[in-house]
Amino acid sequence: MNEYLKGNYKVDAKIEESEDAAPTSTDEFEKKALSRLGGSICFVSKKGFIWKGDGADGTGTKDR
Amino acid sequence: MELGRRIASRLAAATAERITGAGLDNEKQNRPHIEHSVLDLASLPLGEGDRAVVVAAGPSLRRRDSVKRLARAGFTGTIVAVDSALGACLREGLVPHVVVTVDPHPERIVRWFGDPDLKAPSRDDYFRRQEMDRTHAEDEVAANRKLVKLVDDYGARLRVAAATSAAPKVVERCRQSGMRLYWWNPMYDDYDKPDSVSRRLHRENGLPCLNGGGNVGTAAWVLTHAVLGRRRIALIGMDFGYAPGTKYEQTQYYPELRELFGDRLDEAFIRVENPVTGETWLTDPAYYWFRDVFFEMAREADCETVNCTEGGILCGPEIKAVTLEEFMHV
Repeated sequence: MNEYLKGNYKVDAKIEESEDAAPTSTDEFEKKALSRLGGSICFVSKKGFIWKGDGADGTGTKDR
Repeated sequence: MELGRRIASRLAAATAERITGAGLDNEKQNRPHIEHSVLDLASLPLGEGDRAVVVAAGPSLRRRDSVKRLARAGFTGTIVAVDSALGACLREGLVPHVVVTVDPHPERIVRWFGDPDLKAPSRDDYFRRQEMDRTHAEDEVAANRKLVKLVDDYGARLRVAAATSAAPKVVERCRQSGMRLYWWNPMYDDYDKPDSVSRRLHRENGLPCLNGGGNVGTAAWVLTHAVLGRRRIALIGMDFGYAPGTKYEQTQYYPELRELFGDRLDEAFIRVENPVTGETWLTDPAYYWFRDVFFEMAREADCETVNCTEGGILCGPEIKAVTLEEFMHV
């Protein structure tokens, strides 16, 4: 596929990648840290403490 | 912002990404054993009145002899313990009304219930290294053997509030020792979103979803007020940190932090002064996140939460700190 997409012209302007686009070592480091650390159960902000479903009696679709 | 705090602030999303798959896999395996909802606990006579003590397993539990003091005082309210504090309770003859377990880890958590299959020290040094229960650090095989017997002796008197994410090995051990299981789903995400995992899970198994706050201690506190309806709740052993003088290698996430931070290991740790004791406690990004979450949840909770831990980092305007005796005798 690269053969077909190859440009057949040259541009004068030198294109430099912005620094934001490339992950910094700190970003990489934090990403790696985040993949290894954390809790044993999720926390969902601003959703209360317990959700019993949408049923009027609060039990949801099955009665457990 | 310090590196440790910056990582802590991003752990909600990271936790969801890391554990949702394991939790859902465990739910599938656990589903044949689901008979009772955690909501059934609300109608059971679990202690008197509207007061409860939540027993977590932080180092202050031992430093302050909190379980012994609770057992001696003849507290008549409700006692809810996390799985890792079960051994400490039973060794003092204190039988919690409810034990809470959530962690999907396939191997480790069963040890808090006594693992009948453990015959030699585990290659995993988790129990020897950290100090949630020092008996395991001293001689883990002997400690495990004693705990197996204790749990077998008391099993029929124990009720377990089990997250559907709990490891099947834990569920098997609970059932084998005669415990009664009351189930709930962890709230994995915003149930109002159309593609919500929590909503789908609830539709499939009919169980309520509890917002777990990142860890079993906070989940136990949520259960105590949102399910059992207790209105005055004391916390013991809820440190979210390591006692002064704890070496980095004795902390819970040390292997991960050492591998990740290398020479910058010290930057991962955060120091917090406890205004009651005047001590400076050590904490890491995960525990620091638990603390922030707890404060956020405590602001919304329809209960009074009193910290009787007498240590740790859970100190803030949302939570009054008193001694355990003051709480029990008011």
